[in-house]
Amino acid sequence: MLPGLRLAEAWGFLPGLSVRERDLAREQAALIRLACWAGNFTSEVSLLPPRTLLLEVAGSLRLFGGAAALFERVVAGCSEQGFAPQAALAPTPLAGQWLASAGDDRACLDTAELPHRLGKLPLAVLELPARKHARLVGFGVRSIADMLRLPRAGLARRLGADLADDLARALGDLPDPRPRFVFPERFAERLELPMPVDSAMALFFAMRRLVATLCGWLAVRAAGIRECVFELAHECGRGPRSATMLVLAFSSVTRSAERIARVLDERLQRLELPTTVLAITLQVEAPAALPGHAKSLFGARGKSAGDSLAVLIEGLQARLGKDSVHALSAVAEHRPENASRRVAPTVMPFAGNPDSAGPERFPSRRTVARMRERKTFGQDSGQNVRVVGAVFPLQLPAGRESPPPSAPDVAKAAPGPRPLWLLAKPQALDEAAGRPQYGGPLRLLCGPERIESGWWDAAEPDAVGDVRRDYFVAISTSEEWLWIFRSPAGWFLHGLFA
Amino acid sequence: MSTISPVSASLTLSQILERSDVWRGDALARAPLPGVPTGFAELDRELPGGGWPRGSLTEILPARRGVGELSLLLPALARISTDELAWLVCVAPPYPLYAPALQACGVDLSRLLVASAPGRDAAWACERSLAADGVGAVVTWLPEVQVRSLQRLQLAAEASRTLLFIFRPAVCASQASPAPLRLVLAGEEGQVVVRLLKRRGSVQPVPLSIAIQRPLRLKSREESHALAGSVPATPATRSVSLPATACCHHPS
Repeated sequence: MLPGLRLAEAWGFLPGLSVRERDLAREQAALIRLACWAGNFTSEVSLLPPRTLLLEVAGSLRLFGGAAALFERVVAGCSEQGFAPQAALAPTPLAGQWLASAGDDRACLDTAELPHRLGKLPLAVLELPARKHARLVGFGVRSIADMLRLPRAGLARRLGADLADDLARALGDLPDPRPRFVFPERFAERLELPMPVDSAMALFFAMRRLVATLCGWLAVRAAGIRECVFELAHECGRGPRSATMLVLAFSSVTRSAERIARVLDERLQRLELPTTVLAITLQVEAPAALPGHAKSLFGARGKSAGDSLAVLIEGLQARLGKDSVHALSAVAEHRPENASRRVAPTVMPFAGNPDSAGPERFPSRRTVARMRERKTFGQDSGQNVRVVGAVFPLQLPAGRESPPPSAPDVAKAAPGPRPLWLLAKPQALDEAAGRPQYGGPLRLLCGPERIESGWWDAAEPDAVGDVRRDYFVAISTSEEWLWIFRSPAGWFLHGLFA
Repeated sequence: MSTISPVSASLTLSQILERSDVWRGDALARAPLPGVPTGFAELDRELPGGGWPRGSLTEILPARRGVGELSLLLPALARISTDELAWLVCVAPPYPLYAPALQACGVDLSRLLVASAPGRDAAWACERSLAADGVGAVVTWLPEVQVRSLQRLQLAAEASRTLLFIFRPAVCASQASPAPLRLVLAGEEGQVVVRLLKRRGSVQPVPLSIAIQRPLRLKSREESHALAGSVPATPATRSVSLPATACCHHPS
């Protein structure tokens, strides 16, 4: 196959040839996607449509362990993105372009080497107009080395100043500023799949490419994500065009491709696709600031604990569901159901670990605010809260013996004993001869502690509502310590002193 | 015996006995890591390492739920969460944990993670938690766990420094288990009686009776019995009624 061949001829040579119209817009989109991905390595990226990307990597050499290692990573990453790269490393952009188009991938790091290295290249890499090319061949110029031997002034007069200038730029004699690629403000990349995909695991491959692109974009913006949305566009077929949304959430701001991929993998394993997928879109709504962090001198182990926990929480949430993994917070409320609240787990910021730091990372701030608000409310409506029976012969556990009168936390000053387990729903107990039964008659040990509270949310659908209960600590015949209460509806088991 | 390498052949017997995984039948084994004090001196004395073993699976078999099985662990868990600043992970608790009570026992709620995991996912969640840095203890309820899963968990625990407690019903006491430490718990007179079913070292002579933290000290049966008859008949009335507390003061 050669360029310039007619289609009919091409089919003559290869009957199985599949032909596609060249789509410049998609090519441009792919190049931009690759430019975003290149943000993983450097923020200085320059686009040369239709097919060239220039990365200025002088500032990144040390971070990635030298020119050779960086070059290898860029080339490998590029192939992983689904491109067949022809890459070169050179001290000037133009020399890099020429070396790359000649397929010379040996790194050249010194401008002094350039005349020798460029000299070996054929004239074709200059991509000159046919007329100029023919004239050069007419002079007997076969390679760039031949051209470099000619006097520059004469070359400029005979072939135009731009060719001579290009040579000077390639050799580093003239400055060669390039327009910098402006990374998009919002990240929304669409990847059309080459063929419809129906297995979730096969999607993982394509999605990983988008994740790598996203991470490059985030690195350049010094940002991280807490949430990102994959939209899987399905084949339209008979029904209306539909899409599956896949939301990945992270417990701390991140831009680690491995971490995102791990959560993605976990989610994809449980994803059921209704039909085949044609395209994937990755969107990020609100990236949060995430500056890079200095590595510690001694590589302290404790530093990674916050990260490791965040990873654990995400891993558990991805498999068990977001609501199945939670933390607890104690709320100053008299009704037991409301005094313990499930909250989203938050990883505490660790000193010297900015990955999990940030103003919104402090876990208790909102909770504390909520507690304060509740407390003042409770105080205002004080006459509606009556806790009776704080005068039992209780042996109060240590730490509860003398609650300071001005303790900010009302829950700590709670008068009665509280069980370690609270049943989600009180369990009705039978009553025989005036005594509650739980596998036999219960012995009441202390009580009653009257809890009478909550008129304000009696009308709300999911609230506990107005309760009037007398709580007792009871012990069953088989030595279970229980927390039971009596309400107008009878006896109920509410907790276990496990 | 044929597999003894030349290196081990040059060891003396006393050197071999120094190893933490070799112990005499008449003494407690040495633990590779010092244990976490249980908070009960009489129990510490009976455990190899002087406390709950780190990096090891501890199986707890309570006779019933509510005999004080969790209170037995709480001093150690509180120490881990507040002194060592490590996280506690509770996997698949049978009932919701009650935050105010945990807080009152000294557990730092900001380092507590609760995961409700059905069936097999529970063991998986434990394994993941054991592998994470910064987790000090994993407490889990696995009533229907397979021995193979227990073995995996024990291996995962050995690879970490994390305490791993698994609650199983007391009927499992007759089954073999890879856990190096197994305790059977029963309640008796307000205390919890601990029988060490299995430990590294000699057999425990008598069960231990341990005074865990309870809402009140249990008095003799006759004393506390009076309360039962004096329950307020109608708590529905919005009036202050104190008959029961009055009875408590003057037990007849």
